[in-house]
Amino acid sequence: MNYDYPNARIRGMRSRLLDHRTLDELIRKPDINSLIVELEKTPYRDDIADAGIRYSGIYSVEYALRRNYTRTFKKIMGIFEGQPAEAYLRIFLHRWDIQNVKTILRGKSFHIPQDEVFECLVPAGDLDEVTMGEMIRQPDVRSIVDLLATWRVPYAKPLTRRFPEYAGERNLIVLESALDQYYYRNGLDAVRGDDYDQALVRDMLSTEIDVVNVKTVLRLIRDKIGGQDAGRFLIDGGNRLRRSFLTAMLDAKSLEAALNMLKGTRYGFLADVPPELFKGEKVSEFEKRLDRFLIARGLRAFSRDPLSIAVAIGYYWAKYNEITNLRVIARCKTADVPDETIREALYYV
Amino acid sequence: MEQVNPTRMELIKKKAQIRMAEQGRDLLRQKMDVLIREFFLLTASFTRSREELEAAASDAYRSLLIAQAVDDSITLKSAAFAARKEIALDVRSRNIMGVPVPVIGKKRLARNVLERGYGIVGTSGRIDEAAEKFETELSVIMDLAEKETAMRRLGAEIQMSRRRVNALEQVLIPELNRQARYIKLAIEEREREDLFRLKKVKKLLQRRQAENGDGGQVNDSEYAR
Repeated sequence: MNYDYPNARIRGMRSRLLDHRTLDELIRKPDINSLIVELEKTPYRDDIADAGIRYSGIYSVEYALRRNYTRTFKKIMGIFEGQPAEAYLRIFLHRWDIQNVKTILRGKSFHIPQDEVFECLVPAGDLDEVTMGEMIRQPDVRSIVDLLATWRVPYAKPLTRRFPEYAGERNLIVLESALDQYYYRNGLDAVRGDDYDQALVRDMLSTEIDVVNVKTVLRLIRDKIGGQDAGRFLIDGGNRLRRSFLTAMLDAKSLEAALNMLKGTRYGFLADVPPELFKGEKVSEFEKRLDRFLIARGLRAFSRDPLSIAVAIGYYWAKYNEITNLRVIARCKTADVPDETIREALYYV
Repeated sequence: MEQVNPTRMELIKKKAQIRMAEQGRDLLRQKMDVLIREFFLLTASFTRSREELEAAASDAYRSLLIAQAVDDSITLKSAAFAARKEIALDVRSRNIMGVPVPVIGKKRLARNVLERGYGIVGTSGRIDEAAEKFETELSVIMDLAEKETAMRRLGAEIQMSRRRVNALEQVLIPELNRQARYIKLAIEEREREDLFRLKKVKKLLQRRQAENGDGGQVNDSEYAR
């Protein structure tokens, strides 16, 4: 595949990402309104203007960021249209489909008004607004699964398979877990080949599976959930951490003991933290370190083969990082969080 | 003043009523003292819980802010859809000096990550921490609700007892005392009149006997007349 043109365009898009200096300027803004004014001078201008019609304050910023994110990746998909890289990149966007299906199932299961559910959807994946609208209009969870099966949407497979179990327990976690397992398995299946692009996507996905599994283990240990019940939430296909290792981690009596088991692995940095973090059992602190690790790894793709999918993958993580940082800054501005605290909370690496 | 019969029977009845009213007043005062003591104990505990609530609320909102900032508010809202659950409360009552106050059974409101209803992948520890802190806040709110209701009821009962004591002290007992005094005066007056009348009759009879020359002796038949 010829990457000259697509990668040149993505490099151009990368050059328009906000640098640290701009983020610092945004942090120094006194309130959310001046932040919005400042964002109007950035590539987010159109999205901010559009969001301003519907919402105000923090809600307009969040809406604009989601809109920009969706628009950007639609553009990238357009650049790679019809080429194998498009399918590989779609794997990363399918997570939004999973998130949207979960939201719709939750909304339907707990009788949430349709408008409220619709507001929580992000049409960044394959499921468009029309499909999701039709899903929301279904009377119950069973009908949603049937609709997906009728329209041959791939997510119907895991849902249909696990539906009897859900029908017995009425526990949505069963269906959500099936979707998560399907997402990663399907993603890995799509990049089984030996070429450079597929290996790169596979490596990224496997690393992400490791990170997701470590986070899951930490959350389960914190809530003292162990045994078989816990093992079913682990996802197969990790890069470095095998299921048996993760199951052994789950048997650990404390977060500290579990994290100490990671010493000597790629995730050993989690064990080198101040002792008070173990006492507080704040899983979020460890998650932050893992997220930073994942983003840094994603950004490292920029330094790999410039004539491969690496540039697009690097851009995906850079954009994700930027959007998260802007959201953190905007939210903190609404709560008068000191500038220094915002800088610490930022994810940029 | 209410019309009363100035008789000895009525006086005895009024004196019994006064004793009863004074006993009632003393009992009400004792009840009020106990209620006030309970009220102050509750106030101290309520103040502590209130401070606890403020700390829990500020902690919860800080966690919520972080979760909204990093995970996006729609992810949080989506997770909240699944975490919606009715809370069944076990409310019983106990008596403090005849005042029924509620006792909310301390149910475990804190849920673990699997009990909250949302899947593990796609959510985060930040969301768990925010949820957990709001669950803690909810427990404190329930504790406060129990104490506040008890305080309201005790307060109302104290006020009512005070009104009753005042009514007894300022209205009923003085009124009964006045009536008793009136009856007593009326009986004394009647006794004085009777004595005076008897003395007058005696004097009249003695004068008649002196005029008849029988040495001033008055026999029974004369008195009878």
